[in-house]
Amino acid sequence: MKRSFIRFVGIGGALTLALAATGCTGSSSGSDSAPDQKASITFWGWAPGYEDAVKAFNASHPGIEVTYQTVQPGAKGGYQKMLNAVKAGNAPCLAQVGYETMPSFAAQGALQDVAEHAAPAKSEYQSAAWNSVTLSNAVYGAPVDTGPMALFYNKKLFDSLGLKPPTTWAEYRAAGEKIHASDPKRFISSPYQDYDYAGLAWQAGADWFGVEKDAWKVSMASAENKKVADYWQGLVDKDLISSAPMYDQAWYTGLGNGTIATVVGAVWQAGVIKGGAKEGAGQWAVAPMPQWEKGDKKVGNAGGSATAVLNGCKNTAAAWEFAHWLGTDKDAFGKLIEKASLYPAASDLLYLPQLKADPYFGGQQIYEVFAAATPDVDPEWTWGPLMTSTVTDLNDGLGKAWTGKGTIAQALSHAQDSTVAEMRKQGLAVAP
Amino acid sequence: MTHAPAAHRAPARRPATTTPSRRTRETPPGRPRRLGPLLFCAPFVVLFVAMYIAPILYAAYNSLFTIRRSGLGLTAPTEVFAPLDNYARALHDGSFTASLGRVALFGVVQVPLMLGLALALALLIDSKSARGKGFFRLTSFVPYAIPGVSAALVWSFMYSSTSSPLNRLLEPLAVTVPFFDEDVVLWSVANIVTWSWAGYNMIIIYAALQSIPAEVLEAARMDGASALRIAWSIKIPAVRGALVLTTVFSIIGSAQLYNEPAVLQPVSGGSISSAFTPLMSAQSAVAAGNYPYAAAQSVLLAVAVGMVSLIFFKLTRRGDHA
Repeated sequence: MKRSFIRFVGIGGALTLALAATGCTGSSSGSDSAPDQKASITFWGWAPGYEDAVKAFNASHPGIEVTYQTVQPGAKGGYQKMLNAVKAGNAPCLAQVGYETMPSFAAQGALQDVAEHAAPAKSEYQSAAWNSVTLSNAVYGAPVDTGPMALFYNKKLFDSLGLKPPTTWAEYRAAGEKIHASDPKRFISSPYQDYDYAGLAWQAGADWFGVEKDAWKVSMASAENKKVADYWQGLVDKDLISSAPMYDQAWYTGLGNGTIATVVGAVWQAGVIKGGAKEGAGQWAVAPMPQWEKGDKKVGNAGGSATAVLNGCKNTAAAWEFAHWLGTDKDAFGKLIEKASLYPAASDLLYLPQLKADPYFGGQQIYEVFAAATPDVDPEWTWGPLMTSTVTDLNDGLGKAWTGKGTIAQALSHAQDSTVAEMRKQGLAVAP
Repeated sequence: MTHAPAAHRAPARRPATTTPSRRTRETPPGRPRRLGPLLFCAPFVVLFVAMYIAPILYAAYNSLFTIRRSGLGLTAPTEVFAPLDNYARALHDGSFTASLGRVALFGVVQVPLMLGLALALALLIDSKSARGKGFFRLTSFVPYAIPGVSAALVWSFMYSSTSSPLNRLLEPLAVTVPFFDEDVVLWSVANIVTWSWAGYNMIIIYAALQSIPAEVLEAARMDGASALRIAWSIKIPAVRGALVLTTVFSIIGSAQLYNEPAVLQPVSGGSISSAFTPLMSAQSAVAAGNYPYAAAQSVLLAVAVGMVSLIFFKLTRRGDHA
């Protein structure tokens, strides 16, 4: 606490220095090489397994030399490093960027349009993933993984109470009431924040952002969003939601001992639950996401990332070749599934043998549930240009709402107001 | 560091004069003689300027610009020179001014409590009848050796509404401490800070106590002063310098509160917001890519801390002359 101030004041200068230092290590963005020379591309990322994938690519593509450099995960400093590098003019050609951050990067002029190389590949990807790397007519990179959502539920607990996995949100609430009635220490779920909450809105078609003509549209406080917010608020008011924050030790404990009965989450939650709640082995199962209207098939998405082309990249053809390969090569992606539990954005890879049944989930072939859900992910969702500050504001409000102070609807409208104010302040066009 | 004090001291140190005089004979007077000490200072000066002065100036300079974009913002944003915009914005930013008020309240309450505790501990360990001095000195200092973030993580577990062992102990009494209530959470943070830093301050005060001449204490004892009286009339006035120093350190530390609230934030149920302290507020601006605004907040905080420290020094120095 005490010493951080000087460092902080100096953050701009220190970062510049640090970057000047790293800039020397050859992160220059490709080269206009002579035909007999290798094209060299630098790629920044953090997913485990990327390093091996790069090695495999280099071995099979003699004309291109990709250099992989591990950076901090995006929100933990990686994105800042990338933006600074773009500003300093020594950014790598390629970087791992989450879909939710793509528009923020685009709105900082940090991305490069590679539509000329990328356009023919559109049909190889799920449409929601493809939409996430495009804005207006520009294509800013290649999708790698996605996060289609489903319902993770404690089957043992559900069975013991004679409950079936809910198919609608109304049934989900009823199940929650029954579970809480069986033991006041049991809860149907736990508080959802930022992008996990966004997935719930995504399913309901409750867009947060959009592009209308040449202006941004912000609709976090729309009627559709209010519907989702009020539903979850109802669960909070009836004390059906645990107070254990997601990814906290208390949450893992709850998942393991049956006091938190479900997680409405993306495919990668399988790895999170399995890794964090060992005692729950054999008890958990996966069912399709509950629906707002009986018989509907609507799915949200949470997470997923692209290999983005950063501004200043000179050899965009080679950059695109690698980015496209990373997300579509069967062997490479099979290893990424094993190492990083990534779930493919390319439609052809949804049934890779590495996506197999898991004893943790009672031997259920859970990826079949996700593969079936994938085409139903609403492709219209758009992220905003100031996502970091938007979710910071949202989380401030959501944190309170989930503990019964204020409401989720208030959190959304507060985030809407401050996002619009910030966008106007910076001079971005905001549709009324 | 500079030339002058050494020159003043030179006549006092007779025996040493032989060496310099021989050197002046060997090398021509003037320039090289002055360059020597400067060269020795160079590593420090270069690092000091590059790592300390330059970033501060850069931050101050940066704070004079605002970020401008247009349309959908698909091109790089430009920075426009608008010297007062960020400052005006910060002063009208309710969450930033609230964070300043919060750390001020924190400082007013926590600093005297912590230093009172540190002083009491130091006096106890220093007292003649104390046993196991080494043990107590070490154990009260140990929390300081634990990195702030680790300490905050451990405390977040102690406070957590689902796992708090403290509340479990209190269960038979039907009492629960709402560590993360909006009105309580600042004091939950204060508790961690006190736990971490009381021992550190105690050591500084204790070291100052060691420098009190034994004769003075003995004389007081012979005059029949009680241990309490000696502590109040001799020891505390004697460590006044150490108390002023630790107070200024603690004021600065309070203003820069960051680690503890930042670690507790995700489990606080929203009672610790992203702009809970001024540094957290500036950090949010950095995360949002708005460096100039973060720089302006930092400069404002630095000015406020500088002023408070200066006033405090002035007040205590006035006491010296009286």
